[in-house]
Amino acid sequence: MKSDVVSPEGFRCDGRRPNELRRFNCDMGTASGGYAGSGADGAAYVEQGNTRCLVLVFGPKEPSMRSAVLHDRATLSVEFNIASFSSGERKTKLRKDKRLLEMASIIKSTFESVILMSSFPRSEITIQIQILQFDGGSLHTAVNATTLALMNAGIPMEDYVVACSAGFGNGHPILDVNYTEEGMDVPVISLGITPRSGKVILLNLESRLHLDEFEKVVTLARDGCTQMHEILDTAVRSSAEALAR
Amino acid sequence: MDTEMGEAEHAMLHFVTPGETVTADTVFMRGHGTYNDGEELVATVAGVVERINKLISVKPLRARFSGEIGDVVVGRISEVTQKRWRVNMGARQDAALLLAAVNLPGGELRRRSESDELQMRQLLSEGDMISAEIQGFFQDGSASLHTRSLKYGKLRSGSLVTVPSSLVKRSKAHFLHYTLSPGLHVDVILGMNGFVWVSKGSKDANKKGDVPNSTQEDADALYANVNEPITNEERMAIARVSNCILAIAKESELITEAFILLVHEASLRIDCKDIVANSKQIIDAAKMSY
Amino acid sequence: MSGEQFLSTSERTFVVNALREGIRVDGRGAYEFRGLSIELGGGGFGSAEVLLGKTRVLANVSAEVVRPTANSAEGFVLFNTSFSPMASPAFEAGRLTEEEVLVSRMLEKAVRRSRAIDTEGLCIVAGEKVWSIRVDIHVLDHEGNILDCACIAAISALLHFRRPDVTVEGDQVTIHPMDERNPIPLSIHHIPICISFGFFDKGERVVVDPTHLEEQVQDGDFIVVVNTHRELCTMSKAGGAGLDVARIVQCTEVAAAKAAEVTELIRGALTKSNEIKK
Repeated sequence: MKSDVVSPEGFRCDGRRPNELRRFNCDMGTASGGYAGSGADGAAYVEQGNTRCLVLVFGPKEPSMRSAVLHDRATLSVEFNIASFSSGERKTKLRKDKRLLEMASIIKSTFESVILMSSFPRSEITIQIQILQFDGGSLHTAVNATTLALMNAGIPMEDYVVACSAGFGNGHPILDVNYTEEGMDVPVISLGITPRSGKVILLNLESRLHLDEFEKVVTLARDGCTQMHEILDTAVRSSAEALAR
Repeated sequence: MDTEMGEAEHAMLHFVTPGETVTADTVFMRGHGTYNDGEELVATVAGVVERINKLISVKPLRARFSGEIGDVVVGRISEVTQKRWRVNMGARQDAALLLAAVNLPGGELRRRSESDELQMRQLLSEGDMISAEIQGFFQDGSASLHTRSLKYGKLRSGSLVTVPSSLVKRSKAHFLHYTLSPGLHVDVILGMNGFVWVSKGSKDANKKGDVPNSTQEDADALYANVNEPITNEERMAIARVSNCILAIAKESELITEAFILLVHEASLRIDCKDIVANSKQIIDAAKMSY
Repeated sequence: MSGEQFLSTSERTFVVNALREGIRVDGRGAYEFRGLSIELGGGGFGSAEVLLGKTRVLANVSAEVVRPTANSAEGFVLFNTSFSPMASPAFEAGRLTEEEVLVSRMLEKAVRRSRAIDTEGLCIVAGEKVWSIRVDIHVLDHEGNILDCACIAAISALLHFRRPDVTVEGDQVTIHPMDERNPIPLSIHHIPICISFGFFDKGERVVVDPTHLEEQVQDGDFIVVVNTHRELCTMSKAGGAGLDVARIVQCTEVAAAKAAEVTELIRGALTKSNEIKK
């Protein structure tokens, strides 16, 4: 009937162990090949398990709206979209719009404190996030993809922002929660850190989690972030080998 | 060219990512692409570390064109405002072309009157293509251009090709002239910002430089909006050269005067419209014929 | 931020330096709430006016019978916020500020997503008639921490609210007027309390219930919604100064303690209003 999030043998519904990340894959600089026409300055494509996300970065460039110009720093605008074909059923408006605005606002606040905004007065940086396939963890996947895309665009940041999610099911903290698990009423913490300082810059919880379990779950998420950092860094360096002249 | 870069040189490239400490030695000064975290110098972009004497900077792998004083650029007028035009040259902000920085019809040393301000659109209006030189920068980082020499000004009789700005390196010649065959000339203006103007060539190989006493006709001709008559053959030549430049960009090779010619030669056996699709073969062939 | 005044550098340094000494500008301790007063019943059942320091928020709950979505057997809980221009020069009538969006989002998450209210209990006839509960929040005065104040107002109003009694006989649905039959309170599973933290000095100093001045100076914020069962319902931090995990865990403990205090105050206010009625 109600299946366990973690089976007695210690496996989750997709065969992973509780502290295992999903398979990760990314591609930076899809801009040079595929997106040159759109004029994107940076692009990155990330796959975390079955969740797929594409981020395009434009700028710093002349602001589209005069009213948005700040005299001493850049303006950041973020758009978050979920494709209608991204989940099991086709939905033209996947979830209420407010939810998407909320995600965009979270990502904007997060990156505004990491990008060196004062380097580009009177300019605008636009981040367009597109979730192409949705299997849970879209927030943290989008954050990782955005970090890569910003790096691809050469926009200076104090540090990476790496993100990961962790949840709690059957008495076990579990890492990198997928859609099925989210549906099993597993509370999920999405965590984003700046690896250099190890400090938390993004924390999002929207379902009930008991305080006594909190520390375990958030620590697991933080460890997941550290693993993600190594993975992302390796990916950036190998893509650089290809581009270096 | 870059494939000839030795393995040793390649290994010496110090590649860093944001948040990574570049050096903890306080002797160095920080340049672009870094910030101070206590005593350490930390990278802010993913790129290669450059050290010039005591200045350390990190050059990002990709960045928008910023330019330096003296760079030749090609741009498009995006706005006409009081006493200046705003020019889109693919940089972080639109550049400014001041009214005081252009040649006005009617002589070199004329004072700018009010009627000049009101008639700015008759000289350059939105959408016009120009070639210019970066004169300086404003405090907020935007560039200030000038077209004070006769080789700069409104561009006609050709088409624009956009390439990544990192593929155009500073050189002596940005105004290129190719005589592809007797009577068939193509001019190429290589903007440092990656905007390249390929146009019908002028009959003589020498373009006019700074001529102290320009005549009325020369100045008037500067802002004409009419294209010169172009034959089909010339159009094909312009298209072919444009595609060659795109092919070079696709293979991420540096775009130089000599290389464009080599690639053009190598492309002659292929249909003009297939040049970009077969860019790899053409570029390889061009490199072999060095 | 149109009518909002900017803050001078000396004011900022004053606030931060005071915190370094362990003192807040209004003399409170770091984990002290301002004076909280909850007035219930001013506008009938389901109305609450909350004063937190000088921040004043009014909440009103009303109920309406509507058709449910598809064939569901659940009612609705809707939140509507309005930041009155009299609250602050920064609020313009009709213009949605980012703060307003934040408050309405957090209220939805805290109360609705955490399933504080039993929506199945709002069903009258499955697939045909359900109760739609609407909570209207009016911000009357802005002196910092509108979010916590609005949350207390909303939850107090919901606890105080009584809906008309309904009898269903076969196809016949009778909604009894309030004077005929005693109205029924909503079925509320748990009481979520929102606690906002402000951070200063690169995350070194943390305070609870920031004033308007402190909000303008802070490096970052952190919002925790927790109930008396020590369950975290919602947590939100995006941007601002980075925080150590240890600091975050510490904050959750503080939030739990504060939530317990506030819940006591709410219960006190409810008892008082029930006594007045008798």
